Amino acid sequence: MSILKLQNVEKIYGEKENQVKALRKIDLQVEEGEFVAVVGTSGSGKSTLLNLIGGLDNPTQGKIFIKNREVGSLSRKELTIFRRRNIGFVFQNYSLMPVLNVYDNVALPLTFDKGKHINRKYIEELLRELGIWEKRKKYPNELSGGQQQRVAIARALANKPAILLADEPTGNLDSATTVEVMGLLKASCKKYRQTIIMVTHNEAIAQTCDRVIHIEDGCIVTGNRRFPAKGGDGIC
Amino acid sequence: MLKLAWKYMRYYKSQTVTIFVSILLTASLLSGISSLIYSSQKNDLVNSKTICGDWHYYIETEKDLYDFVESGEQAEGYHLEQCGKMEIRDVVAEEFLICFIHSDETYRKMTHRDLIEGTFPQKENEIAADGFVLNNLGFSGNIGDSLRIGEQEYIVTGVLKSEWAASSSEMEVFVSDSFVGRGSQTFLYLRFNENEKLYKQLNSFLQRHKISLDAVVVNDEVTQYLGGEAPQSIYEIVKFGLTNEEGNLTYIVLKLQSDYNLAYNGMLILLCLFSLFVVYSVFNISVSKRMSEYGILQTLGISEKQIGGTLLLELWILFLTGYPLGCFLGNGILSLIYDKFSGVFSGKGIAAENGLSVADQTLAEGTNAVQFFVSVDAMIFGFLFLLISLAVVALVVVRVIQKQSLKDVMSGDTSFTKRRKIYTLRNANMANVVVRKFMFANKKKVLGILLSLSIGGSIFLCTTYMVENLKVHTELSLMSDDGLGSEYRISLKSDSLEDTIPEKVVDKIKSMPETTDVYPTKYSMGELQLTKNEFLADENWKDYFKYQNQELYFIQRYNSICNQQEDETYRIKYDVYGYDEEMIKQLQEFILEGEIQSEELLKENKVIVTANMDGQGNYYFYGKKPGDTITLRVPKTENYTDELLKFQSSEENYIEKEFEIAAIVKRPLAQEKGFLNAEVWNNAQSIIMTNEQMADDFGIVNYSFINASSNKGMESERVSNQLLQIIRDVPKAVFQDYTYAIDTQKNYLKQQQIFFSSIAVILLIISLFHIMNSMNHTILARRREYGIIRAIGITDSGFYKMILQTGIWYGLLADLFIFLLYNLVLRRIMNYYMAHVLQFLHLTSNVPNMVLIAIMLLNVAIAILAVMFPARKMIKENIINEIRG
Repeated sequence: MSILKLQNVEKIYGEKENQVKALRKIDLQVEEGEFVAVVGTSGSGKSTLLNLIGGLDNPTQGKIFIKNREVGSLSRKELTIFRRRNIGFVFQNYSLMPVLNVYDNVALPLTFDKGKHINRKYIEELLRELGIWEKRKKYPNELSGGQQQRVAIARALANKPAILLADEPTGNLDSATTVEVMGLLKASCKKYRQTIIMVTHNEAIAQTCDRVIHIEDGCIVTGNRRFPAKGGDGIC
Repeated sequence: MLKLAWKYMRYYKSQTVTIFVSILLTASLLSGISSLIYSSQKNDLVNSKTICGDWHYYIETEKDLYDFVESGEQAEGYHLEQCGKMEIRDVVAEEFLICFIHSDETYRKMTHRDLIEGTFPQKENEIAADGFVLNNLGFSGNIGDSLRIGEQEYIVTGVLKSEWAASSSEMEVFVSDSFVGRGSQTFLYLRFNENEKLYKQLNSFLQRHKISLDAVVVNDEVTQYLGGEAPQSIYEIVKFGLTNEEGNLTYIVLKLQSDYNLAYNGMLILLCLFSLFVVYSVFNISVSKRMSEYGILQTLGISEKQIGGTLLLELWILFLTGYPLGCFLGNGILSLIYDKFSGVFSGKGIAAENGLSVADQTLAEGTNAVQFFVSVDAMIFGFLFLLISLAVVALVVVRVIQKQSLKDVMSGDTSFTKRRKIYTLRNANMANVVVRKFMFANKKKVLGILLSLSIGGSIFLCTTYMVENLKVHTELSLMSDDGLGSEYRISLKSDSLEDTIPEKVVDKIKSMPETTDVYPTKYSMGELQLTKNEFLADENWKDYFKYQNQELYFIQRYNSICNQQEDETYRIKYDVYGYDEEMIKQLQEFILEGEIQSEELLKENKVIVTANMDGQGNYYFYGKKPGDTITLRVPKTENYTDELLKFQSSEENYIEKEFEIAAIVKRPLAQEKGFLNAEVWNNAQSIIMTNEQMADDFGIVNYSFINASSNKGMESERVSNQLLQIIRDVPKAVFQDYTYAIDTQKNYLKQQQIFFSSIAVILLIISLFHIMNSMNHTILARRREYGIIRAIGITDSGFYKMILQTGIWYGLLADLFIFLLYNLVLRRIMNYYMAHVLQFLHLTSNVPNMVLIAIMLLNVAIAILAVMFPARKMIKENIINEIRG
């Protein structure tokens, strides 16, 4: 069952002669529980794609469906709540709150849902699994890059989102930590049957995923695939 | 560097405009207020010259020197621009003390004794005098008519302008050179070049003519503005103030005021510091926004010196354009409205030191038109001060950059207290937690923000507090100096207790339908007897009467003011007043200790006493409290002669009574203007009782002066004429109409209130402008974090709530800060300043609650508004851009 569907999505930045087409006519389908890597060179449009899927940006044209709901039809408030409940983000620069400790950083998105009970057991389990339970009272600037990224992953998973969007999650990490983080993401994907879309420019890492989508100049391009695609890609 | 500075200025347009506007506003405030104080002092000088004469010193000299010295004399160290000559040829002490004076034209010009009508006397039997003197001598004829003074008949040839600071009992009559009197006292009135230090010129003049400094009398009211006396060094003043037993803070303040014009220079320095604070603060915010860019520039190899140079150039370019424009703006606006605020610094509601009452002073000042003067000195000082200070500001910023490592500069602030507490375990509202954490992450910074948030409010509250008390003080001064702020005063031009206003005259005035609030006052002079222990209850006050005792006037007439007797007791001359019930009630405002109930005074024969006040606003009544007793001697009315006022006659001529003190007050209400309130002394020591007590205890039935006002709607001139009619037959009775003076004083007060409040509002606006900028920066500095929160799912309304909370927090904390700062620190300083330096009579007026609440609400509103602007800006921005920063 496809959890994400992009129909003819375009994203243009700037106006007139300054126009830049970041994405052109993207059609994409992602199945539930799939771990997809989006690969491309710098400026190819992969992060833009991720931001559009996450509802952090709006497409210039086309439609995006997540769990069969068209994201563009949601109001700002509905979109925010929808994003909070269904999408988790992991950024390359971790984007943690520097003034909060590890535990509070992870639990923060849960507190935005009024009346929602914080499942402390689940958070503990998450932190233990990610190996940062002992660091729960530490602040981001007291952690290594790998540890900070684990916190970011834990925060993204805290709401048990259907889709996890990771923008170069290993971009700032050394190779050993990269392997660890990738392992964690995969384990999480499996355990919670989550769909993960990960942007990376590292082909080797991408090859460890279920599917690899190549983007060049804003278009999805065909290429060698080690694994058969579960969904279908629109090709430029 | 210039190019880089220019690029920065253009790129950060809003910041550039903010710095420019803050320089413009502070420069206009600085130059405007300085010019205002300067103008007021210049106008005060003109007023003082009108009242006290346009001369600096006078010397009683030998006839040879009198003839020798001429106007325009110039020698090493001095330039005597004008030298007025005055010779007292004779003195007649009949009904009044009349001096026959011969003078040159320069003297008459100096003392503003211009001829209004007729000519100056030419022959021996001709005289000229002012209208007041002629009226009181009973001259009601025309020029050319004769007037009898003493044994002689004189022909009045001219009427002169009245002198303002007239001696209480002396009258001057001008005579011709051919007039031969019984003696000759010669005086030189000196006016030196005012562009040079007067005291230096005087010293050179005295040295040249071998005159002792003791012979010199200074026209203090005029020379205080011109450096009439050699100033003590600031170091010496401060050292004395801090180390000497007699010195204290008040001494330092007052001495700095007299020697260094503290009001002007102090205000100038304060304004410079305020300007610097605002400019520094705004600039600092601007720089902190581009700290990371400076870090990048450093990595590119640009030295800290060059960065400092860029900063300085940027500041100086803005300063060099903003400062002159600001000065032009401030002075321009004030020059247009100055004449409407002429009473702000004039109209000596605070302290009249020339012996004139507030009302008399007002009448005198009314003759001069006010002018606006631009204080070039202040503008130059402010310019140089800020120019150099801005260089220091650039240096400080560079040092801050130096202190931080390159990585820190590029990554921003990470220093905050790390509490090991997990808030989400306690179901805490995380939005609140985040807000608080953001706010208090850097305590030093938050303290700085709160301080700048509260500075405008605090200044506003202090100004309002001062204005409120000034209002009460002015009203009380008018009441005390001129008798309840009454429009009319009937008194006696006499220094003898024999002259009184009969009771029937008082009754007549009281029964007039045109008058209201008729307050008749009885007067006598008394002597208070104190034991040595009583008098010296506090050693600090042992010399309180020292200067009065040295005054020739008091020595000759009253055998000094305070005398120690052979039996070591002290005897002090006191004004003794009899007030009516209504006046006694109004004394409540002046109470220092005790209670005032007029029935009790009468029933238990108690009295009210005034405390002695030193030059620093401290009060003292020989260690006595209400309930203690005093012994008072008053001359008997039978067989009275003026000699009795020396209190040296036999006991049978005096009535001695013991009284219990009901209350100690700061000042009497209505006062006798002669007797002990003569020369430069005013608010003399007094004992007050009821009119009935005066009659019962001392047999005093008649009155010495009357204060009255006209009923509403009555034509002032008509009331005046009627009162003049009634007192026509009372010998030596004079009538003074203060209607104009009271109106003018009230107008001055209104102007002062409007003016000071306007200045406070301007300061508040500058401060608010600064608050908006600081808060804007505070919020925008966290835009990445807010972006993260938005990305992980906070709704727009949730985000606004968070920001709103921040604003409310800042507003409330600033309120708390203002409240504590105002109540615990500033108000105490103000109280001290008003009580001891300005010597306000009353300090109980508080800032109205509505003003206090309004300031508090305004703070919260401004803080909310200030955070909501950047919040809106952030909401409009793309989350991804916000996170990337």
